[in-house]
Amino acid sequence: MIVPMAKVRVLGPKDRFDAALGAVQDFGQLQLAEAPARAGIEPARLEPDIQRRRAQLQRVRDEVDEGLRLLDAEGSAPLGPPATTDDFARWARLANRTARDARALRTRVTALGEERALITRYRDFLSAILPAVRKVADAPRLTSHAVVVPASARGTVTALAEALREQLDGEFTMTSHDLPGGDVAILLVLPREFSARLDARLAEARVPEVPLPEGYRDLPLEQAVPKMLARLFEIPVELDGCERDRRTLAAERGPDLRRARAAIDDWLAAAAAHERAAMTRFAFAIEGWLPERGVPELTRSVADAAGPSVIVETVAREEWGEEDAPVVLSNPRLFRPFEKLIALLPLPRYGTIDPTPFVAVFFPLIFGMMLGDVGYGAALAGLALLVHAKSRPGSLLRTAAEIAGPCAAFAIIFGVLYGEYFGDLGARLFGVRPIIFDREKAVFAALALAVGLGVVHVVLGLVLGAVTAFRKEPKHALGAGVSAVMVILVVGALLAAFRVLPAGLFTPAVVALFVAFPILIFAEGLIAPVEFLATLGNVLSYARIMAIGTASVMLAIVANQMVGAIGSTLVGLIFALLFHLVNFAIGLFSPAIHALRLHYVEFFGKFYSPGGRPYEPFGRRHEPPAPESSRKPS
Amino acid sequence: MTMMWIVLSAAAVLSVAALATAWAQSKIGTAGAAALAEKPELAGTIIVLVAIPETMVILGFIVAVLIILRAGGA
Repeated sequence: MIVPMAKVRVLGPKDRFDAALGAVQDFGQLQLAEAPARAGIEPARLEPDIQRRRAQLQRVRDEVDEGLRLLDAEGSAPLGPPATTDDFARWARLANRTARDARALRTRVTALGEERALITRYRDFLSAILPAVRKVADAPRLTSHAVVVPASARGTVTALAEALREQLDGEFTMTSHDLPGGDVAILLVLPREFSARLDARLAEARVPEVPLPEGYRDLPLEQAVPKMLARLFEIPVELDGCERDRRTLAAERGPDLRRARAAIDDWLAAAAAHERAAMTRFAFAIEGWLPERGVPELTRSVADAAGPSVIVETVAREEWGEEDAPVVLSNPRLFRPFEKLIALLPLPRYGTIDPTPFVAVFFPLIFGMMLGDVGYGAALAGLALLVHAKSRPGSLLRTAAEIAGPCAAFAIIFGVLYGEYFGDLGARLFGVRPIIFDREKAVFAALALAVGLGVVHVVLGLVLGAVTAFRKEPKHALGAGVSAVMVILVVGALLAAFRVLPAGLFTPAVVALFVAFPILIFAEGLIAPVEFLATLGNVLSYARIMAIGTASVMLAIVANQMVGAIGSTLVGLIFALLFHLVNFAIGLFSPAIHALRLHYVEFFGKFYSPGGRPYEPFGRRHEPPAPESSRKPS
Repeated sequence: MTMMWIVLSAAAVLSVAALATAWAQSKIGTAGAAALAEKPELAGTIIVLVAIPETMVILGFIVAVLIILRAGGA
């Protein structure tokens, strides 16, 4: 359900404003509204020195964030003594120092990584040319050049060798090595007097030298190569050292920085709240929203902290519109995980219906109707239990496990009704029979059940739409109600026509449809017939429950037939297991997506009214109440 | 011979519906992925938009089943 909200106004003498605002922040449930705009009332302004301090703290906050991010030290803020002005100054220095240290550490790690990547790329080439460059070092009349020919110009290597042999009278040797990515590294050894001519030839052919890391570029190759190869063993040790430094910094400064961030956020929130209050010459007013049941407690808290001269009054319901009230969803523990499915859409507007309880019932039901297999349902239940045990409370995985539980239960129930245990395995091994119908054969029965559920679901949606619109748009409510009745009449007439219901009901149902039709046009306008047809289309869309279910059972049956059909029993068994595994994966994904779609499009389309404002109360982040002097921006 | 036409008709119905769905989903999926890169909060809407054309292939499947069952193919 959507929690009933109250709009309250905190009023008091100007000198009690700080105490009252602090009490509201400590209370942590009031979402502040804009300052009321009336004659003689103006928004509270921050003093210039407070504005300067806010700008400073925002910069400190950015540095704290950067430091925590670079040190990978995110987490919750530890509790500590109330923040003082000295604390903020200390945190500013700490944030600055940490951001600087963390940046330096990150730069060092990046440089080491780049150096390692470069040397690793040329490692084989460097190892291969090491004997040659040592020989060059021992022969003063020789010199060497290491160059890289790009992959796109690989074909020119032979031509380059020919050209050099021609120009240098054949007095050179060439060692080439393929690099990852297709480039070719080449070592050219030649007499020193030809070096200048070689440089000119290479420049002309636009062949670059092997890019040596910084620090080795000025060394001769015979010195650079052994050092670079040795670096491959030194770099991991240095990277480990950097990681140790990061952990030490994170452990030493992380808790302090997290606490600093929480305290700064509280201070900045208080400064923002200050500007949302209204002031007269002698009094102040703060307006905001909170859950209705919290009003007495807020009244007590403000009176205790700011004295009896500050009062909390509830703003009359006539003075505020539902579109302004923030939306808080509150559901029983079992239904709460399904709020995550609603969260994929914009929040419902205040004053409309929270669809969570309906989703919590129909989503697992539709999922179970589609999967409908005891074996797959049990496997899903096991998976859900495992994920539940391994996940943290409140995490996405835990929520998924909590949604999967009821889905598995319904899959098992429908599996028993359809008589499916890993497809027809139960029937083959133990002669298990279906209780309602066999999905493999009774396609029409499955279709009727699916469309029947569609009728119930869509009619429920129309009724909820009528209830939602009843207060503000009675004509639309009438239209939704008449549509619901007409859907039932159409189904009744069809069932009577096919003799499922007594044939005598056909004529009354058709007459009632003719009576309802003009009422529908009166309520919804000339577009109503088209919308009604779309509603009937929505009902037919539930046929997907039968389609996906039939596909699922057919795949399971095919998997079972593999045993004995492909080579030996063992091979068939392995193929069957693999096929069941694939079918299980499809059986989790496809029903979930289609059950969601049936809710979002067919069901929600009838009543869901998006556009609610999120509830963002003014409060503190893990901080204990601070004394008045240090927590206020004034 | 009649059986062959029944099976071919059912296959044609399902194939055309599947191709139409695939074409529509490819267009919606491409646009949806681009939209998600900029606005991840649209995930719910994109899922719905991508799933909408699947109605075509599901109805195609049902028509194919009806052709086979009604025409005495099974």
